[in-house]
Amino acid sequence: MAAFAPPPFPDLSIGPDMDLQLALIFLQQGIASGLVSGSVYALLALAIVVIFKTSDVPNFAQGEVFMAAGYVALYLFVFQKMPIWVVLPATLVVAFLAMALFRRFVLDQVAKSAKDLVYLVIATLGLSYVLKGFVRRTGFGDTPRSFPALVPTDSIMIGQASVTMLDLAIFGTAVTVMAAFFWMFNYTKTGRAMRAVGMNPKAAQLVGVDLRRCHMLIWGLSGVISAIAALLISPKILMTADMGSIVMLAFAAAIVGGFSSLPGAVVGGFVIGIVENMVGLFISSRAIVLAPFLAILIVLVLRPQGLFGGKLTIKKV
Amino acid sequence: MSVNKTAAGLTLAASLLIGAAAGAQEPGITDKAIKIGIFGPLSGPNMAYGFDVVNAAKMYYDKINKEGGIHGRKIEYVVEDDRCNANDLVAAVKKLVEQENVFMLNGGSCSAAVVAAKDYVVRNKVPYLMLNASGDGALFPPTDYIFGAYSISQYAVGGAMVEFAAKQFGAKNVAYINHDDAYGAWNLEGSKKDAEVNGVKLSVESINPGINDVTAPFLKVRAANPDAILLVTYARPAALLIKKAAEMGFNKPIILSVTGTASLNQLAENVGKDALKNFYTQEVMIDSPGGAKLKPIYDMYKAAYPDLAAKPDHPQTYMPYGIPPAMSLVKALKDAGPNPTREKVLAALKTQDFDSGVMAGRMQFGPQQRAANRSTIFIKYDGTTMAPLPGVFTSRWTYQAK
Repeated sequence: MAAFAPPPFPDLSIGPDMDLQLALIFLQQGIASGLVSGSVYALLALAIVVIFKTSDVPNFAQGEVFMAAGYVALYLFVFQKMPIWVVLPATLVVAFLAMALFRRFVLDQVAKSAKDLVYLVIATLGLSYVLKGFVRRTGFGDTPRSFPALVPTDSIMIGQASVTMLDLAIFGTAVTVMAAFFWMFNYTKTGRAMRAVGMNPKAAQLVGVDLRRCHMLIWGLSGVISAIAALLISPKILMTADMGSIVMLAFAAAIVGGFSSLPGAVVGGFVIGIVENMVGLFISSRAIVLAPFLAILIVLVLRPQGLFGGKLTIKKV
Repeated sequence: MSVNKTAAGLTLAASLLIGAAAGAQEPGITDKAIKIGIFGPLSGPNMAYGFDVVNAAKMYYDKINKEGGIHGRKIEYVVEDDRCNANDLVAAVKKLVEQENVFMLNGGSCSAAVVAAKDYVVRNKVPYLMLNASGDGALFPPTDYIFGAYSISQYAVGGAMVEFAAKQFGAKNVAYINHDDAYGAWNLEGSKKDAEVNGVKLSVESINPGINDVTAPFLKVRAANPDAILLVTYARPAALLIKKAAEMGFNKPIILSVTGTASLNQLAENVGKDALKNFYTQEVMIDSPGGAKLKPIYDMYKAAYPDLAAKPDHPQTYMPYGIPPAMSLVKALKDAGPNPTREKVLAALKTQDFDSGVMAGRMQFGPQQRAANRSTIFIKYDGTTMAPLPGVFTSRWTYQAK
């Protein structure tokens, strides 16, 4: 595995006469990098979808939960110099508890006093502002910081694409977490209870599922997934108090995949990651930020329920 | 009763006369003081760009006051927090002008925010000197009231970088990564003139400041096989690009604009020292931050703010930038004579030309020139030591009325 030493690239304009060899390099690199960033979008999309499926609430604080978890890890590891084997579980526990308690003590109360779901959505927006404001008040969010990479950042070549060991670790960990999540959802009693709550909460309650506990678990788990995403990507994208804006890409992934489909969220994440790179490489760097919205538009026009959204249903009002 | 009525009438007439006289007088000026309004980001995420810049300006005014003031008048300043936010900044400016009745304004550390104040300041004919904002959109086309770019104009940032790449490395093919906004457009426009004169081909990639994955723009730049890469971005995208360059084995010079980092130590932490093997950063001061030539400024800060100076990361990198605008304001007031008016001060500013001893170039204004500094130096930084390189590099860009 040699270090990346690309040949002297020909000086070609990016356009219809692009050299085929260069186009192939772009294609391979775009897919490789897109899979890495896409795996993190997929994790966050998974966290969004699992909450939406069970609570019917799009959690607009997911990005800030991701951001705040990253800062918890940064604070413990860099500023408190705690060992990483303490920092990692501590961060996950904090994220789990914060989200579970938010569900229990904020959303449950809001739901009690206001039946309309829109108030729950507003509560998640409130959480996003609280978390962002809190991180800014600490002063740690004033300057871009890097959470130290826990694996080497040396580059290796896969085909003609350059990736780092960190990239492979991000991709591998994200896929493992997603697999573990699917396993739990499909093969454990708790997971089946969560699915039942997603399908029909009243029926689930009738057969003995503790709804409150189940919701707390689901929100807690979504916090854990967000924290893992933050720990994975923070060494690559640099941390700021605004890093939660990445959640827009996760929402795009969820919409592309189908907002009610867990596998769809994962596929959507990879699609968005790759589309971003392809648009940047073959169209324009300026258009990268438009790529997710372009993907959403295309999917909404061709398949409004998303790639894995199942059969389109229309509710009568 | 009638006596009371007469007295009341006389009192009212006297009040009106006094009011009329006061109205004719310049706002913010008394026999003993000249009131100025200072504003900058004292809180919020962009505080590092201006908190200590405001402190530096204040300490310079305090120094002038200790030395006797200006033609016998002391400088009295009122400070407002603009949070680098356009709405907050305009509110601060209005408060300073309408409630505090300041004679002139001295503030702003963020370019986009200061541009928002342009219409109000021009409409109210208030002399406005920026702090360290480049604020090119407020400076050009030139007005009679706004003066700035004491740190440097964005038009000049890119041009000076192209000049450095051409002269220092003989670069003929330069990759140029800027932001896809007005800020990026300003510095690219400034660069084109210097590229043309030096026979340099610019391969431009414009990116969104919030970009997360820089693979695509970097790979395209890499494909152009440049002799050097110029990064004219904010800190976060700059660090991402420097990391990506290291990952992809790019070993030619990487030159970072002055806007690219508020802390070189933090940059080294973020990208790793290996990524800084062939790395140069632009600086608009005469020396690297904390360097020997700037020692008097740092000593003044320690004396003025002993508590702050004892804290880590203080003074902040941009602290000395607050001195030249304060010097400019003081000089304009002195040049305006013992009976200053806003118009006299504005006239003095239009021909101002002095060496601040802080910035790389002279502070020069002219009939069409509202950006004080257009010069920079460059520092080689390897992650540990900063080594200023000889020479001052100046952009050729000048404003041409369209």
